[in-house]
Amino acid sequence: MNVKLYEKHIESRKEFDLILITDEVRSAVAESGIKNGMCAVITQHTTTGIIVNEGLPCVEKDIEILLERLVPHDYPYVHTHMLPSYGTCSGNSPGHLKSLIAGNHCLFPVIDGRLVLGHAQDIYFAEFDGLLRRRYYIHIMGE
Amino acid sequence: MIIDIHAHPVLYDVINPDDEILSFRKQQFGVFKSGRVPLDFALRLMDNAGIDRTVIMGADYSADSPRPLVSNEEIRKIVDAAPDRFTGFASADPRKADAAETLEKAFTELSLSGLYLNLSRLHMFPDDPRLEPLMKFCQDMDRPVMFNGGYSWTPDSPAKYSEPVRFEDIACSFPRLRICLAHLGWPWHMETIMMLMKYPNVYTDTSLIYMGTPARYYEQIFCREMDIDWLQNSFADKVMFGSDLPRWRQVRAMEGLKELPVRKDVLDRILGSNAEVFLGWRKKDER
Repeated sequence: MNVKLYEKHIESRKEFDLILITDEVRSAVAESGIKNGMCAVITQHTTTGIIVNEGLPCVEKDIEILLERLVPHDYPYVHTHMLPSYGTCSGNSPGHLKSLIAGNHCLFPVIDGRLVLGHAQDIYFAEFDGLLRRRYYIHIMGE
Repeated sequence: MIIDIHAHPVLYDVINPDDEILSFRKQQFGVFKSGRVPLDFALRLMDNAGIDRTVIMGADYSADSPRPLVSNEEIRKIVDAAPDRFTGFASADPRKADAAETLEKAFTELSLSGLYLNLSRLHMFPDDPRLEPLMKFCQDMDRPVMFNGGYSWTPDSPAKYSEPVRFEDIACSFPRLRICLAHLGWPWHMETIMMLMKYPNVYTDTSLIYMGTPARYYEQIFCREMDIDWLQNSFADKVMFGSDLPRWRQVRAMEGLKELPVRKDVLDRILGSNAEVFLGWRKKDER
């Protein structure tokens, strides 16, 4: 089995930011030379997610509204204090909890050297704690 | 103009060309897990928070440290990279014999706009005679002084050296010297209020979010431990917005402050016009 790992860098533009990365993932699969297997897209962070949905602004807005309703900006979160190990304040609990809901990765088949997606499916890097400079992995495994 | 009066540029990439110097600053300042921040990204963070200008602090403890935490030349370098977005405060270690010379160069050659001193980190009380020449020079040059007030998160920085009431002699002896007792002097914020009310030349800033979310902590301090009208009616001209970056993100501190139930004219003063007076850019209304 062959394994290819790509580390991608990205910069979010606002606190909640759904960034389309479908083309980057397709390109990585094509570049990998792997014909049949699986492709995992994995975020490196704990206040971000990798999600799949239809790439429409109205859907993106509904996702944002849903997550904001489930995890409100203002709430007596526990993770709101000075962190001695960081030397900075926490205060991004909503980002951690939205990340929990979104999940840190998505998996896709690779068939005949191409990423297999449903016709309406797009892949997003989901930022819940921006603006920040971020990284994610594209991990392709197969023959 | 919206001004963040209190930020520490210890992580900016333009002054951290290699990992060794970055590690030194992180250990000395006590931001252990943070990474290098590109200057263009720092400007985008300011844009995102709606901040026009950030006042960045030098820090010099070189009497007991191999080099200044952030030198005056490094502050000048950051300001030169974005002069319309940054204002730079110098530092000089008062325990060193050449402190006055260092400060004079910072003002006359590097054109820095004020002096930053964390007496807790320096282990010096405000009545230490070694401070007098620096205070006199700042007063003569019409440059303000930002002091750490009360608690300091910097390692090896006992709070006792920064108790607000101990700055009373400086406020009295240098009546034309504008001084800021940062962080509202927490946990001695009532002492700070006394200083604000009694001395026209004493200011404070809002960089004091130590527990809870910014909105909840500001509400606790300004609405529960005080009456919000104390701020609105008694010292609205003395409080400046400060984030203490990188301890808090500027946008979060700003959002929290904007949740306070204060009049628009009071919020406008806190967010900018008080800082303009403190920095000497605008005359104070003495009526």
